[in-house]
Amino acid sequence: MPDTKKIRIFMTGVGGQGTLTATTLLAKTALSQGLTVTSGEIHGMAQRGGVVESTVLIGCKSPKIGIGEADILLGFEPMETMRALPYLRQGGLVVSSTEYMPPLSVAMGKQECPTIDDIKKAVATCTSKVYFMANQSIGLEAGAVQSGNIAMLGALCAAGELPFGPEALEAAIKANLPAKIQAVNLKALELGVKALNS
Amino acid sequence: MANPLLGDTPGDTHLLLGNEAIVRGAVEAGIQVVTCYPGTPSSEVPDTFYRISPDGKYYFEYSVNEKVALEVAGGATLAGAMSMCTMKHVGVNVAADPLMTLCYVGAPGGLMLLSADDPGCHSSQNEQDNRIYARLGGMPVLEPASAQEAKDMARDGLLLSRKHGAPLLLRTTTRVNHLRGPVEFGPAPDPGKPEGFKRNPPHFVPIPAFSRPMHVRLMERMEALREEAENSPYNTVTGNGKYGIVCSGISRAYVADALDNAGLADKVTVLELGFSNPLPENKCLAFLQSVDTVLVVEELEPVVENDLRVLAQKHGLSLDIKGKDVLPRNGEFDVTMVENAIREGLGEAPVPTCECSLPELPGRPPNLCAGCPHRGTYYAARKVFGDDAVYSSDIGCYTLGLLPPLQTADFLLCMGSSISAGGGLAKASGQKVVAFIGDSTFFHSGLTGVANAVFNAHDVLIVILDNRTTAMTGHQPNPGVDKTVIGDNDHPLDIESAVRGLGVTEVRTVNPFNQKKTMAAMEELGTMSGVRVLIAKEPCPLYTRRVYKKVAPQVAYVAESCTGRFDCLDKLACPAMFKEGGKAAVNPILCNGCMLCLQVCGHIKAKKRGS
Repeated sequence: MPDTKKIRIFMTGVGGQGTLTATTLLAKTALSQGLTVTSGEIHGMAQRGGVVESTVLIGCKSPKIGIGEADILLGFEPMETMRALPYLRQGGLVVSSTEYMPPLSVAMGKQECPTIDDIKKAVATCTSKVYFMANQSIGLEAGAVQSGNIAMLGALCAAGELPFGPEALEAAIKANLPAKIQAVNLKALELGVKALNS
Repeated sequence: MANPLLGDTPGDTHLLLGNEAIVRGAVEAGIQVVTCYPGTPSSEVPDTFYRISPDGKYYFEYSVNEKVALEVAGGATLAGAMSMCTMKHVGVNVAADPLMTLCYVGAPGGLMLLSADDPGCHSSQNEQDNRIYARLGGMPVLEPASAQEAKDMARDGLLLSRKHGAPLLLRTTTRVNHLRGPVEFGPAPDPGKPEGFKRNPPHFVPIPAFSRPMHVRLMERMEALREEAENSPYNTVTGNGKYGIVCSGISRAYVADALDNAGLADKVTVLELGFSNPLPENKCLAFLQSVDTVLVVEELEPVVENDLRVLAQKHGLSLDIKGKDVLPRNGEFDVTMVENAIREGLGEAPVPTCECSLPELPGRPPNLCAGCPHRGTYYAARKVFGDDAVYSSDIGCYTLGLLPPLQTADFLLCMGSSISAGGGLAKASGQKVVAFIGDSTFFHSGLTGVANAVFNAHDVLIVILDNRTTAMTGHQPNPGVDKTVIGDNDHPLDIESAVRGLGVTEVRTVNPFNQKKTMAAMEELGTMSGVRVLIAKEPCPLYTRRVYKKVAPQVAYVAESCTGRFDCLDKLACPAMFKEGGKAAVNPILCNGCMLCLQVCGHIKAKKRGS
């Protein structure tokens, strides 16, 4: 394996959202580029609507990312982006959804989520490299709400922090996803790259 | 086409989950029998064996509990079969009885016990360190740190176990079970047929006269295995410098990344112990003699640390050994934590930290799914018994009933304890006890609890939450199910007959989504004394979708007439419902159409899905 720069990517979302599928796809993309890759996931009871955290690490042995260690934070839900912010290193890259999946206490009207402005302000104290995007809407536009995650991966690949670009992800989608969902996800990838540049 | 995990395709590289890599390793060793009880973080090992079993050359079973699983695997290894038994760390407590004696009796065909430990309690009730079981019973231990090692150690461990006839512990932790990494395959030869049992009572029947020499043989076996550990490629020394680090398990990955981050690799010597029991004493002694200071990096208990302290004392070495005095004895490690421990030892400044602070955010605790039948049972129980009953809970999704507003889990010990601990509490205090237990847990160890409660005349209302599958760990079959992802269960056991067979006379079965009947049955059983059983039977909605391929034709919606009283939200806490503009609302995408909320509030109605 080539001696590559270490890159640690922390991903977070809500159980059932497809965070782990996206994690595996990104890890497979890195592997297809000949990079040393390790990824990790923590779930269990979290599949019942709790927080799911996962990692993709390039050039590292550990599958875990500690506080302040992530070069990239990918948040599939905006409040989870904020919750995971301590994992980001100062000046790291953030790609986050702007569309909420309210936890029960919020749905019941007992608590409130921070506003997108609050979240943007919190992120700004850590880094200026930030991309927010409406991943569920983009997913729906592509044809399936879950494909919004792939749109975010597309944006990440286009952001220039990884040793590969969106073409590598495109190839990985073609090689790894079932035929019947490829078109939707390729469309999502295209929309994600566009969202980053808009 | 058969699954790639079964193919004889040496040289292929696949990105595998640690748990999948273990399966591949077993296939490469020539595995013949696999038994298990599922439990996160181990679950994907048996699930993968199960999924590919139609094409595999091994026998596979989901056993009813860990003790039974280990006994089945134990019988198989005595018949010469290369056997594997998988469980989570607390499962080994259940299997501890046969385990201790299996170490005496030995494993002629080879026997690997996978114990998936859970530092950090990601999905468990405790953090116990099962490397201690290996010391108690006398088992060699392998501790992988990567997907590749998970595969290689599963293979090599099984072969080593067969070579020495020694049951072996493959000890993983959550991070290893649930990491993904590239795995290069080796050959996967056809395992053929086991040789069959060879009668030899002095070796296989542990009556006292035979057990004493068995113990001696066990100790001799461990000495032979110590030699293997001395020469194992999993025990390596790298680097040079007077500052020594000894590490095992996933901590080896943290140490490697920490040294790399800090640029300190040339100042330290690292002893990695992948084969950590029995301790390779010569190798460790030479290491201890080559350095001034040692930092032992291992999660949870100071197991290797204590071994090294004993070794140092035996040989009169006075070097400084650090471990649990600088690294925590609870929870997981990470790279920065390990880096700081190393930096401190070398007199370097710690890694700078980011001072960003966040406001308190709304939590996102897991919740019973939309359409979960347990919600119906719990709602009814709260309505009928309120705070007058003590709710004895058990291990499963249904433990989530502890959260408000349902609050139907007051205490919990372990799998199967709801019935027996509930009976004990009632005996001691005379308080009314309602004990909840799932169908899989009932077969795991609830049956014995029922027998005990009947025999000892406990006063307990047992509610069996029969959702027709083992839901929490990922829908594994149990003896009661009628259908599984790979086919029908030809011998489904009927819980009601089982309970009656154990001597319970007052048994009712209801559908928990029928609130009227469920509450009536609870009220009736609530006024009686002795052992009474209510079976709340309705399949898990996720399982219904996946296995029965059914979706409820209707969804709920909130009518205009909603008065904003929010009883539905406040008392059911269904994730499909939310507040919107002073009224309740239902998210039709999340609604599973259970229609429980219609029975709670007259302003909620049903409509055809999609209309």
